[in-house]
Amino acid sequence: MPRIHVVDVPEFRPVVDSAKARASDGYRVIGPRKGYFTIEKAGEMSFNRKDMKLPPAIWYGIFTGGLNGEISSFGREVVTIIGTNQPL
Amino acid sequence: MPHDALHEEARSDSSYMSEDKRGYRTREVDISMLKPASDDGVQLRLKGVDHSARPTWKLRETVTFYRDVLGLPLIHTISARGWGHPGHPDFLHFFFDAGNGATIAFFYYIGTDRPEKYMPEDSYFYSASHTAWSVDTAEELAQWKETLEGRGLTVSKFTKHEGLESIYFRDPNGYPLEVTRRLRDVEVIDAEDAALTIQAAIEIEDAAFAAGEKMRDIDTVWRRKAKLVEARVGDL
Repeated sequence: MPRIHVVDVPEFRPVVDSAKARASDGYRVIGPRKGYFTIEKAGEMSFNRKDMKLPPAIWYGIFTGGLNGEISSFGREVVTIIGTNQPL
Repeated sequence: MPHDALHEEARSDSSYMSEDKRGYRTREVDISMLKPASDDGVQLRLKGVDHSARPTWKLRETVTFYRDVLGLPLIHTISARGWGHPGHPDFLHFFFDAGNGATIAFFYYIGTDRPEKYMPEDSYFYSASHTAWSVDTAEELAQWKETLEGRGLTVSKFTKHEGLESIYFRDPNGYPLEVTRRLRDVEVIDAEDAALTIQAAIEIEDAAFAAGEKMRDIDTVWRRKAKLVEARVGDL
C-alpha cells in the first residue's frame, strides 16, 4: 500500500486537502503528528496538480516529506504512485 | 593526521595551502579531519551578507547596468596595482549598494581577457551561482518586474517556490540575478524537515559511493526520507 508523508506547512497543505476530499475513494489522512501528515491508500494513489493549484516548483517536490512507495508515472499534471518492495 | 595538525600544516608550506598561502585548497582537505563547532563550544555569529563579488571584463556595461539601469548606488571603488603579488594584474574593485548593508561587487582585472571557462553558459550548473536580493512585499516584487521590463530587460515570470516567490534576469556579464520575497516565516518544522531530507540524501550518497555508484534519483532519497519520518512519528 503506497504511503506518503507531507510536511505540515502551507505550501503542501493542498496535497493533504486533496486526499481528505477523496476519503470516499479510499484516501486516508493521518495527523499531523510531529510535523507530518501521512496519506495512505490501498492500491494506487494519484494527485492532480491543477486540482490542487500547486505551482510547478512545488509540484515537482511533492514527495519531499517522504515516499513509501514507487512513482509509476510523473507528468506535468498527474502523478501516480503504487506500493513497492524496494527498500526504504 | 591528527585534527590539530591540519591547521598547523595550513600555516606552513604544506600542500594544504594554496600557492599564495592565503587559503585552503579545499579539494585536498579531508573534511572529516576538521573539528565540529560542538568541540570548542564557540557559537560564531553572522549578520547577513556584506558583499558577493565576481569578475567582470565589461566595465562600462557593468556600471551602466547596476548603477544606471537597476539604480543601485555605486558606493565604493578600490583601485590598485595588484595585491602586491608578482603577476597579479592591476584592478578595480567596485561595490553597488543592494540594501540593508549588502553590496554586490565586481573585480575588473585591467588588461586581461576573459578566459573561456568564465564565459556565461545556459546551464543549470552555471546558474546555480547567482545573487538573490530580497524585497518585502508582492507589490514590491511586481514593481521590480514591471519597472525592469519597462527599462528594456527580459525578466522571468513570477516563480513560487517553497517559502519564496522570485523573478529572474541576467546582467550584461551573463550572471544570473534574482529578486525574491519570503512568503512566510521559516518555522521549526522547516529546519527539522531540512535535517531529515539532508540526512536521507547523505545516507543514500554514502551507500552509492560505497558501491562505486552515483546517487540514482530523488525517488531513492524520498524513500529513505519516508523511513526517517516513520521513525520520527512512530507507529501509524
